[in-house]
Parts: sequence; C-alpha cells; structure tokens
Amino acid sequence: MDTAARPELETSLIDDLKRGDATAYHRAVREYSPGMLAVARFYLDHSSAEEVVQDCWVTVIDAIQKFEGRSGLKTWLHRIVANRCKNKLRSSNREVATDFSESLEPELADRFNAKGRWDLPPKLQFHESADNLVENGALSDCLDKHLSALPETQRSALMLYEAHQHKSDDVCNILDVSASNLRVLLHRARQKIFLMVETFQETGEC
Amino acid sequence: MLMCRGLAEIASDYIDGELSGRQNLTVKMHLMMCKDCRTFIGNLRASSSLLSAHSAGRPDEEFLRQIDERVTEALKNRATKDSESD
Repeated sequence: MDTAARPELETSLIDDLKRGDATAYHRAVREYSPGMLAVARFYLDHSSAEEVVQDCWVTVIDAIQKFEGRSGLKTWLHRIVANRCKNKLRSSNREVATDFSESLEPELADRFNAKGRWDLPPKLQFHESADNLVENGALSDCLDKHLSALPETQRSALMLYEAHQHKSDDVCNILDVSASNLRVLLHRARQKIFLMVETFQETGEC
Repeated sequence: MLMCRGLAEIASDYIDGELSGRQNLTVKMHLMMCKDCRTFIGNLRASSSLLSAHSAGRPDEEFLRQIDERVTEALKNRATKDSESD
C-alpha cells in the first residue's frame, strides 16, 4: 500500500513506528527500502549501499521520535540515507564523478545530420505502454538489464524522479545536485531507455 | 530556428513542463510541422511512463529480511533500556 499517496495512512504508520511496533517496521522496510537503496546507490557501490540502508533503519528507531512531519516520511528517510552516504564518502575521500556537459546520448546525437535534422528518425511509435509492461516479461527483464547498466548517478536520479515520484527540488536536495545537472541526468537516462525500447520493439531483442 | 537536434536536447524539459513559455511555444510550433519529432517526443514520454510503472532496483527479500532482523534486535535493546531506566 502506498502510504505517501494517503496522508492519513502515513500519519498512522509514523505513530506506530514511534511506538516501536515491529509489524509497522516490517511494512515500512518493504515500502521505503527500494527508494533508500536508489539514493545510496547514487553515492556508493552495491554492498556499501546495502550496508548504509541497513544502518539507517537502526538509526530511524531513535530518530523517528523527533520526526515532526515537516517533510514526508519518504523524503525524510531519503535525506538520512544521503547524509550518511556523504559522510562515508568524506571519510574515504571518494568523490562522485559525473559528466554533465552533453545533453544528448552519442548514439542519438549521431542520428542527426549537420543541419540538425533527423537522418535516422524514430521509425515506430512505441506501442508498449505501462499497462502491458506487467504482462510483457521480456520487456520488463530488458528494462531491468538496462537500468542496472546505467551510470549510478543517472539511475538514481531516474528512479527517484520516475519510480519514486519525488519532485525535482527534493531530488536535487537529496542527491546534492543542481537543478540543471538533474535535468541532464534525467534526460540522458531517458534517452538510453528510449533507445532500448526502440531496439526491443524493432528486433524483439534486448 | 529550433532544429530537430535542438528539440531532442530539450525534450525532457518539454515533457516535464520545465521550459519557459517562449521555449515551450517554439517546441510546439516545431512539433506541429515535424512528424519525426512528434514520434520522438511521444516515444520518450512513453519510455518515461514505462519507468514509472517499472519500479526497478527492488531489493531482494534476503536483504529486507536482514533489515528486519537488525530492526527487531534494536527494538528489543531499546525496550530493555527503557525498562531499566524506569
């Protein structure tokens, strides 16, 4: 159940968490961990990211007592994860490297002529919609494969924005990127998914 | 004049409603005249909604179970501490 879409459910979940209700934690861990992991993966490798998410849940048990609901629970949890990741990066002197200079994927940029017109325009209209995604296991697997191949920065931005439905301001805040850099991250990631769906639709192959 | 390549560069901003009124109008004018770009925008938009529906990066159940274990233990410790301080 998506508590973020139902404020009264979120309030009652927060009350249960404050009381230390184990069932509420079980439910919250399942609802919020995917997004928390997406945030952590922006900064860290897979196993360190999982470690941070686990540690954060333990922190939450005490920290939730002071949660005043100024932001939503999801945003609050994502900020805790981001802060912990940043501390971890600082202590190991690791930096997150991202290239924000190009707004077009090279594979797409090559499809325009010197005058800026399409040389190789998109041939087909996508008929894959969100509705038949669930039924189309091959497409779903293909999406998984391509999402995991995306640079972490692009994937996290995409996941927080598209799958976890954060507003731009929140994503910038959580991931510590400027609004214009977030636009580049999102656009580059979407182009990759566009190219993937196009190939899938034309050839049936991933 | 906005060319197809220029439109492709700002396509996500258009989809997300992040363009200025003037830029938005320029894109709309181009789209009225250019079928290829209409297909491109439509397909990029479809890619974006596919992603909203497809919540990837789902953690595996084993990972979630590990969190449950640590949370349960931390809750127990907390309850013990609370009862000792009472």
